[in-house]
Amino acid sequence: MKAIYRTVLPGVLLSGLITGCASSVTLSTPTIPEPLLEKIPMSVGVRMPANFQHFVHEEKVYGREEWTIDLGRSNAALFEQLFSYMFSDVIVLGPDDDPQLMPFDALIEPSIDAFEFSTPEQSSTEAFAVWIRYRLKVFDRQGKLVSNWPVAAYGKSQTTTMGGSSALQRAAILAMRDAAALMIMKFDDVTRISSLAGGAATSPAPTPVTDELIENKENPGSEDSASEGSTDD
Amino acid sequence: MIKPDKLRFLALSLLAAIIAAGCVTSTVVDTRTGVTGINEGEGVVIMAKSYHLGNETELKYIRCIEDALARGRDGLRVIPHAEFVDSLFPWFEPRTAPAETKNLAKLMDRPGVAERIAEQNVRYIIWLDGDTDRVAGGGSLSCAAGPGGGGCFGFAWWQNDADYDASVWDLHGLESAGTVSADVSGTSFMPALVVPLPFIARTQAKACRSLADQLHAFIVQDESA
Repeated sequence: MKAIYRTVLPGVLLSGLITGCASSVTLSTPTIPEPLLEKIPMSVGVRMPANFQHFVHEEKVYGREEWTIDLGRSNAALFEQLFSYMFSDVIVLGPDDDPQLMPFDALIEPSIDAFEFSTPEQSSTEAFAVWIRYRLKVFDRQGKLVSNWPVAAYGKSQTTTMGGSSALQRAAILAMRDAAALMIMKFDDVTRISSLAGGAATSPAPTPVTDELIENKENPGSEDSASEGSTDD
Repeated sequence: MIKPDKLRFLALSLLAAIIAAGCVTSTVVDTRTGVTGINEGEGVVIMAKSYHLGNETELKYIRCIEDALARGRDGLRVIPHAEFVDSLFPWFEPRTAPAETKNLAKLMDRPGVAERIAEQNVRYIIWLDGDTDRVAGGGSLSCAAGPGGGGCFGFAWWQNDADYDASVWDLHGLESAGTVSADVSGTSFMPALVVPLPFIARTQAKACRSLADQLHAFIVQDESA
């Protein structure tokens, strides 16, 4: 019996220590409020990558703990909801659907370029921060790429008595909401998607200046807030 | 007639409460740039300046100001900031919120914005900027425990500064009505002779009370003038 204790007890303690250094966050599906905007009167198809249905980010914070952030299908839910508010008609394509056979004016293909976060220990603040860089590709009815827009979003949330996991969750949701706000404000200006209404083929929209994630990380919001921080645009 | 024992107990309790509050000093200043006043049914919204602009106002401080302004017989009608932001999505998000009053006119022209604000009868938006930081500390305190018991010995202290500015925007004239600032400094200390005795300065709570009282006076003051 003593031998069992001698073997099992250190194992239990060790596993306790190991699990104590790992944090796991699972995001519940976020919703955005109905925005105050006029819908763009056109039909769009939306083709989402597989990782939009189940996105998991794993990162080991050097010398500290290991984080697993499971966004689940929150990205898919966010974009479905967002586009349904932005366009008069939205068709979400399944993996086997052929876009050439679908009756829409333009095809939107969102993806995630990068997901990053910082903990209070790293930033020497009391806040978690999340950066997500999405990429939105817009194709015309003929399948020609007309716009390729990187969207850098940022969310920040202070730690509470509820613990770090809930603050990180909130920061991620705020980053998604930030992306939604930017897309509502700039989508048509940047991609000129409304010019594709009725199936018109157009020349490609100018490639937007790439707002590098690193730049935003050093000075969050600086690039976008210069043009979008006010309502002058 | 209060018994001497009870009196002694009350005096000691009062003394303990005063000591336990730590040392707090505060300065509250307002600068008026427009005429204020609030009519029955009109409300205010407390917002934090955007974290995209580097602001770190704590959520609990915003809630504290909301509660303090709404409290009492003369309390103002406070619309919860989350409710207001959601109702005007996406125009009051950290990225999109107007940074200056000159952007308000353009914002009001956006579809549905003026109507939503009118529905909620919002008269003032109060933008909070600032946070509470630990600016100094020192001393040494150590604790030990053994089979026969445990205890602490030493002395530790720390100082927190709470600096907050509130910019008041009047949505009637789409202009700034002025600013109210609270600068509160509090020193907490903890001597320990076997048992540690924390004397905590409630710096942020004091900054909340001071700013809320001054904001209340700032907003309603001109009504009677």
